[in-house]
Amino acid sequence: MQPQSEFEHEVAELIVESLNLEDINATDIQPEEPLFDDGLGLDSIDALELALAVTQKYAVQLRAEDANVKEVFSSLRSLSAYIAENTS
Amino acid sequence: MPSSQRSHVITSRGLDEIIAHGRDGEVSVAQFLARAVALAGKLPDHRYAINLAADRYDFFLGFCAAVIAGQCTLMPSNRQQQTVQQVADDFADCYLLGDVSMDGIERFDVDSDSLATITPSVDIPEIPLHQLCAIVFTSGSTGRPTPNRKYWKTLVEGALSNAALLMQNQKARLNLLATVPPQHMWGFETSILLPLYSKIAVSHVTPFFPQDIAESLASLSEPRALVSSPAHVSALLGANVAKVKIHRIFSATAPMSAELAGQLEQYFDARVVEIFGCTEAGTMARRNTASESLWQLADAFSLEVGEGRTLVRASHLPEDVELQDRVELAGHKQFRWLGRSQDMVNIAGKRGSLADLNHRLMALPDVIDGVIFLPDEDSKRLAALVVAPGMQASDILEQLKPSIEPAFLPRPIYIVAMLPRQETGKLTREIIVELFEKIRRARAQQDDESPSNQTH
Repeated sequence: MQPQSEFEHEVAELIVESLNLEDINATDIQPEEPLFDDGLGLDSIDALELALAVTQKYAVQLRAEDANVKEVFSSLRSLSAYIAENTS
Repeated sequence: MPSSQRSHVITSRGLDEIIAHGRDGEVSVAQFLARAVALAGKLPDHRYAINLAADRYDFFLGFCAAVIAGQCTLMPSNRQQQTVQQVADDFADCYLLGDVSMDGIERFDVDSDSLATITPSVDIPEIPLHQLCAIVFTSGSTGRPTPNRKYWKTLVEGALSNAALLMQNQKARLNLLATVPPQHMWGFETSILLPLYSKIAVSHVTPFFPQDIAESLASLSEPRALVSSPAHVSALLGANVAKVKIHRIFSATAPMSAELAGQLEQYFDARVVEIFGCTEAGTMARRNTASESLWQLADAFSLEVGEGRTLVRASHLPEDVELQDRVELAGHKQFRWLGRSQDMVNIAGKRGSLADLNHRLMALPDVIDGVIFLPDEDSKRLAALVVAPGMQASDILEQLKPSIEPAFLPRPIYIVAMLPRQETGKLTREIIVELFEKIRRARAQQDDESPSNQTH
């Protein structure tokens, strides 16, 4: 199991909070596990809510080429990296 | 060209009209038909085409080519490997159309770019009305796809009904953007079938994030139309995107509030038209949600409201469809929606049975008693109260995952000592919700007081 970085932990907490995942502990989210499908089992409604939460907290607008939504959300690590890269 | 009683033309549009905005710009009906006919001649020789094309124009072209070739298009409810594999297992004589590869299934790429140079066609193919053209799958609570067969007669007459219902007095061509996938019945009807029979040019993109939706809309010329769902459009409002005039916003898949409809109309200078329908019957009614609460039934449909159930009839449907909703007739061709049938829930555009979900919860070895329910009509997610000594909520969640479609996984799950059943064993909704709210409030209070949570 790979440890979460400090920023990844912050994003993990945002995920748990914004999606009401009360049964999941933010620390338990594996940085490289897929957030959707098999991992946390999130779906497109979650993706929208999470996108909104990310925009509100970090002022980052999530963008994706057609059908590449899953790449941005492919893991906690990729989402955290995306936010970090796009934060001025 | 008139259609005979046994067949119907694939499109009633004029050859010079624009039917799509592809990757390389506008596509006329003549160009589109020529490419579809050419593609039809190249398709692998199988009965079923699983169309997973992500680009809407590729999906459109692939679907029409399959129809012309006499093949049936299969539309899985999502692109997950497991779902597609189940469909392929049930319909073995199939191939994959589009940009997704899967072990053991033949794949064919639409490659619409290579078709772009074909000379435009003047022939409009006629399709037999009895031809099986599409099978739409609903996922249900278990994720096991349930097939729904669509014959050409149903698709064409449904599209003509929708043209009358949705395109009233619409003279100028609408440039349409859809945020819902073409494989979903709502997206299929509005962004694929409707442009074949009414003045619509559909965009090839399917943007997801608010900023992308706003930019895709802005890139289309007026008048614009948006086909979407309440979740997508409320995110669009919430993200404060740049204003763009949208002539029509068509919404379905979940109920929309008059308040949201009103805000959308104001922000985008739009008219919001909400659609009522289901996979089995297709679009059957509309309302202008900002100002109307009653639904207007399309001329082609009739409703029979009886003891505890409602039947939908239309001459183009192979059989009557039982609605999973409670409705009340109100005047000529109008009805009021009272709610879903007690047992049915709709989560993230997917329909599931509470009885079935509860059966699966109770089947878990560690669960002594439990109930899955929708906390209130507006809830986006299900919740559960479970009696399972020694177990954590996360254990129950893990155990439910293999047998329940992710959208229906309850969140939160609260472990309780017992359920407040009446002497007869009956569990009323009011009592369940009351207990749930009590626990939720207690936890919120706990969180507020807990020092570890003072970090933000």
